[in-house]
Amino acid sequence: MRRHIIATIFGKELKEVLRDKRMLYLIILLPFFLYPVLFTLIGGVGASQQEKLLNQEIQVWVSPSAEGTGIPAMLQQDPSLKVELKDFEESDLDTLKRTIGIWLPTDYQEKLATGAAANIKLYADQSQDVLNMRERMLRTQLSALNDQILQQRLAEKELAADFATPLQIESVDLSPEESGNRMMTAFLPMMILLFIFIGCIYIAIDITAGEKERRTLQTLFTTPATTKEIVAGKFFAVASVGIVSATMNILSLILATQIQAYLLGEADAGMSLSLAPVAWGWMLVLVLLTTLFIGALALAVVLLANSYKEAQSYVSPLMMVVLIPSMMAAMPGVELTLQTALIPVFNVALAIVSIMKGTLDTGLLAVVAGASLVYGILALYLASLTFGNENVITGEKIDWKALLKR
Amino acid sequence: MSNLIEANGLTKDFGSFRAVNDVSFTVEAGEIFGLLGPNGAGKTTTLRMLSGLLSPTAGEATINSFSMQKEQMKARRSMGFLTGDMDLYRRLNPRELLLYFGKLYETPSSELKDRVERLIDAFGITPFVDRHCEKLSTGQKQRVSIARTLVHDPQVVVLDEPTTGLDIMASEFILQFIRQMAKEQGKALIFSTHNLTEVERLCDRIAVIHQGNLVYLGDIDGIKSQTSQDTLPKAFFELVQDESLSLQN
Repeated sequence: MRRHIIATIFGKELKEVLRDKRMLYLIILLPFFLYPVLFTLIGGVGASQQEKLLNQEIQVWVSPSAEGTGIPAMLQQDPSLKVELKDFEESDLDTLKRTIGIWLPTDYQEKLATGAAANIKLYADQSQDVLNMRERMLRTQLSALNDQILQQRLAEKELAADFATPLQIESVDLSPEESGNRMMTAFLPMMILLFIFIGCIYIAIDITAGEKERRTLQTLFTTPATTKEIVAGKFFAVASVGIVSATMNILSLILATQIQAYLLGEADAGMSLSLAPVAWGWMLVLVLLTTLFIGALALAVVLLANSYKEAQSYVSPLMMVVLIPSMMAAMPGVELTLQTALIPVFNVALAIVSIMKGTLDTGLLAVVAGASLVYGILALYLASLTFGNENVITGEKIDWKALLKR
Repeated sequence: MSNLIEANGLTKDFGSFRAVNDVSFTVEAGEIFGLLGPNGAGKTTTLRMLSGLLSPTAGEATINSFSMQKEQMKARRSMGFLTGDMDLYRRLNPRELLLYFGKLYETPSSELKDRVERLIDAFGITPFVDRHCEKLSTGQKQRVSIARTLVHDPQVVVLDEPTTGLDIMASEFILQFIRQMAKEQGKALIFSTHNLTEVERLCDRIAVIHQGNLVYLGDIDGIKSQTSQDTLPKAFFELVQDESLSLQN
């Protein structure tokens, strides 16, 4: 293969991509602005809805036995709660909207006074968002009241405050400091693979089926450039755009979550990556090898189409090749082992999860990298078979037997 | 004169359908050779076999003494090929496009720039040389396309319907250039067209393909005498008429 021919084809493909405003918007500008705008919009709408739910007036019926206890006063601290002492049955609340019932037994006060437990029932139609939220808030308030009564009882018996909690259970997170947070670990592998795919697929369609449709592909095959050189030149263009697209998408996604976390005042809620340099190195190697596989596979498959429209019908099945393994990798209990390290795409998704959890099993990661390289080379071979088939290039009916022959 | 193009028993099957059957002809340096035939006769398939885009099921194509099957790269370097199935890269301008193909043919960079400028000048491309090809008119595109086939200075040029869709001025420009390429520069030229007036004006010899078979090979006077007709269109029609398509009384 002649490097200057590959470089010439690569340069021309890249020049055409950079001049295609639609492609630039789709691959670079759209992702860069999409997520910050989308997240800010969703965050804003969410916050405004939450505020609306909090301010909505709710009727609270409380059993008359609560009179003289601290419960009505505690509830009335919230101005949006319209508290009414009322004897009610469960069926009375069935047809009422925005009404919560707090049922107390008639001997509520006696039970508390004698040191017994009193049963309290909260009635709310939890299918209504507003009542669901208020029920949770009321439950929290009543739990606080429970703690308060417990402390009083312990004090009366001259017992220490922790008498009722003999076991102080504390959970210590031993996950390495240099790891991504849970949100990142769950979503990032899928996002990386998906964005590489999206970046690769549209340029792959443009420079194969798109060229067939625009009647420019045959010209290239009448020049002294060999099939391998043509595949290599086009592949490097696809891979470059795939990597740029994935990088832009991920940076934009991280930026968007950081903006949203800042707006919500929760500095730790955003996505963040704090990985060791060697982990970043492995991530880079895996991303490059995955791009090799996905880019070459995309080239090989979409070239079979004779038009842009036909090629687009191949996008969904191809996307499944990427999406399903990466979704499976996010399932609990699925881990990187010697067996899973050999399954294409799935192995890379698992390896990224493993790296983000701070687990760096160099041996397994090397197996993943090796397997991905082999799959990438196989995909490139498949692409060279497709490009080397005269029926595919001239848009004639494809002879599948001939396609697999060298 | 030497044969720069040799088609020896070219045959092409697509599954059970034989598109081209045992077609043989030669074209000498400085000769303009017309390849004629109705739509679907097998002309484009024959030309694609000559260019290496399709491999023949049987037979061999030789370009400038290089077999297109055995020494494909050398054969391709000797050929400039343009068919109606070929368009220009829409987001490159004519100069970029010519430089791109020049590099693919490994034209020495010291020569390439001058050659591209000469072609731009010769084909009157200068007024639109910086415009992207997608914004060019049909005639302008065709000038750039022909310039592209010549950017590596091939000894063999194959032009399939180069004047289709062009106005009379643009057609005339292309026809004069074809004559100049053959007669002044000594290139072997295959010219495929449906316009028989152009054939009569330009071609030294012709081949007629009908239903995949070569049904005539010779000069224009020969086809007239063989069919006992006084004009080329009548002779052509006589040779390729399909009884199923003839007008019923």
